[in-house]
Amino acid sequence: MEEKCSIEPIVDSLAPDSALQKKHISMLNRLNARHLQKSNSSSSSTGPNSIQSFLDKFSESKRSIESSIECLQTDFTINGSVPQLKLDLEKISSSIAELEKFVAESSYLLPPYEVRAAMKAISDVKDSVEKASGKLLPRKKFSFRNKVTKKDCGGNLVRKVEQIKGTDPIPVERSTIVNDSPGFRNREGATLVKDFRISEENMGDFSLCNLNTCDIYLKGRFRALFVYNIRNSRVFVGPVLGSILIEDVEKCVFMLASQQIRIHEAKATDFYLRLRSRPIIEDCKGLRFGPYKLFYEGIKEELEDSGLEEDTGNWANVDDFRWLKSVHSPNWRLLEEKEQEGSVSISDIC
Amino acid sequence: MGLLSIIRKIKKKEKEMRILMVGLDNSGKTTIVLKINGEDTSIISPTLGFNIKTIKYQKYSLNIWDVGGQKTIRSYWRNYFEQTDGLVWVVDSSDVRRLDDCRLELENLLKEERLSGASLLIFANKQDIHGSLKPMEIAKILNLDAMDKTRHWEIVGCSAYTGDGLLEGFDWMVQDIASRIYMLE
Repeated sequence: MEEKCSIEPIVDSLAPDSALQKKHISMLNRLNARHLQKSNSSSSSTGPNSIQSFLDKFSESKRSIESSIECLQTDFTINGSVPQLKLDLEKISSSIAELEKFVAESSYLLPPYEVRAAMKAISDVKDSVEKASGKLLPRKKFSFRNKVTKKDCGGNLVRKVEQIKGTDPIPVERSTIVNDSPGFRNREGATLVKDFRISEENMGDFSLCNLNTCDIYLKGRFRALFVYNIRNSRVFVGPVLGSILIEDVEKCVFMLASQQIRIHEAKATDFYLRLRSRPIIEDCKGLRFGPYKLFYEGIKEELEDSGLEEDTGNWANVDDFRWLKSVHSPNWRLLEEKEQEGSVSISDIC
Repeated sequence: MGLLSIIRKIKKKEKEMRILMVGLDNSGKTTIVLKINGEDTSIISPTLGFNIKTIKYQKYSLNIWDVGGQKTIRSYWRNYFEQTDGLVWVVDSSDVRRLDDCRLELENLLKEERLSGASLLIFANKQDIHGSLKPMEIAKILNLDAMDKTRHWEIVGCSAYTGDGLLEGFDWMVQDIASRIYMLE
């Protein structure tokens, strides 16, 4: 209060704004310093002792918590399971809560640094408990799930998915679960042709997966197309009745017609499209777009049947999920007329 | 009067339900909403943000929030969680490669406290596509049996293309929500 009184007269008379602010700040600093001094001196008689005893007690209980977490983990690795895992974890978290309470109660006699350090230590312990329970508890579920799959022979996929989760998700591994659905997979330097007009799969989906330096021709109509991990390839496809999903392609040319298309993680690739809706791209770079120019015998009727007889111009209306500004996205552009391929006829390829 | 009973009373007057539709991109969320509303489904662009539709269903008014599923905008799903009565998780049953992603995203979603009271309907969509997985197989891969026992959930096979199964799914969900919210009737 004294401080304030001594300042006020100056303020009222002639001090300009900046000087006023400076004074105010310096006043606050002085008050702060005095407060700290006072609190230090008041606790100085008992301070160091009680702080030391707090630190001892704190580190002791922290150590006991950490060791019980470690115990659980080693138990788990040796025996493969811990009988009362849930109970033990609950015990640990309740003792952490106690520790937290203890810190809160002692906080009035601790210097700010110690309080912060203690809180940090507690949050670290909490993290490690969470990590441990994340590691130990799902395993329990896992064994339970296995029991279920034993009863039921249809659980093949689950097991496959589990295998993949356990090991690194290498593309080759991943594709093992996709093997059921029709498609071309894991090929290099090949010409791959599929004619849906003479097969009975035209009501299903088709996948192109892990292909490098291939020429791919899909004639006729089918329902959905999935494309994943393709490099240096050229892909020509008749009308797709549903949607097309493309992920992770590089240095390719695609000629596609469909209701919808989504393109993810594509690089340096040209798309010649005919679509009923707007194409979207996400996490792409160096894409170029042009109109669909595929030709083979009967494609005109197939396009009509799919509602794709007209070029809607949608191939130019690309939406980039990674570009929200009103200026044009740097990730794609339209192919100029002279850059575009001429119309592609695949009538003779079979 | 408790807060819960006040909310119940307000909702009772309006007979309104808030439905949140989520799922991976390309699963057919928008198509389902348009199909059930009797609209044209042949021209649908991938959803950039979200669509809202209010549909009269039986004696209820469903407020359906259809939120885009692209990876970039999945983090915004949380903005729509508040006051959700029914959660519809849509799965593309023919997209086997991404079912693992699908399971992880669903697990994350169900951890959300604001959704803990919502009825969960899982649509195993695109059943019309040959070779797509059956609802039972999807349920196993998504590990639905391991879900919190307090959750009300159901998985229904459907085709937004033909319309099969959509009413069955919505019937279940509306009944389930009604029995929770309007149980005083």
